[in-house]
Amino acid sequence: MLFFRSEESIDEWCRSRESPRRPSVRIDQLWQMAVAWYSTRLDPESRRPDAAQIRGIFARIGLKGDFWDPQADAFRAS
Amino acid sequence: MSEWTTDLDIRVKLAVYRGAAERGVLPRAEEVASDVSATVQDVRDSYARLAQRRLLVLEPDGLTIRMAPPFSGVPTDHLVRSGGIAYFANCAWDALGIPVALHRPADVESRCGQSGTPLLLEVGLNGPAPSSWLFHCSVPAAQWWRDIVYT
Repeated sequence: MLFFRSEESIDEWCRSRESPRRPSVRIDQLWQMAVAWYSTRLDPESRRPDAAQIRGIFARIGLKGDFWDPQADAFRAS
Repeated sequence: MSEWTTDLDIRVKLAVYRGAAERGVLPRAEEVASDVSATVQDVRDSYARLAQRRLLVLEPDGLTIRMAPPFSGVPTDHLVRSGGIAYFANCAWDALGIPVALHRPADVESRCGQSGTPLLLEVGLNGPAPSSWLFHCSVPAAQWWRDIVYT
């Protein structure tokens, strides 16, 4: 989970490691991910979102598809 | 108290997270035990339960915390400065997670994963300044916890 300065940098990184190119995420989307995961982390009863909540969070941010689904069969089986 | 964990687990989790927030480093098990008036063995058992809940990632000794997301127990490429304290984040996502968890502005220092170009991102209470930088994760969500340190 890294920062990159451009789409081309991501392309180069994936190519050099023979790693699949995944969807890129904008910084404002990443902020929304951070808020969803961590805004109550220092509170007594906080916990990680469950699978359904995770799907909802990503959908609201605009991140859809099996890659962002924590229970996607396509990736759980591999 | 909810059924998902014990009162001790809540106190241990708060001692870990608040210790990290106040000092920028994850506390040692002995310090946590003192904070919650428990034995180190009690803390070890609680750590194991919190790790099952994916609130902690432990080293093999079961007593050293590698991750209390978003805080890292080891130095990384993602440094967050806030309130005069320096924090290491586990990844780019967690680098933004630290100011969120602290509810404080912060400066995030990181680098491009490909070129090494430095990134300095000013983060306010409502988010970072506009930036053309991007985030990329090569591991699908369904596999994140197979090897969370690699992810």
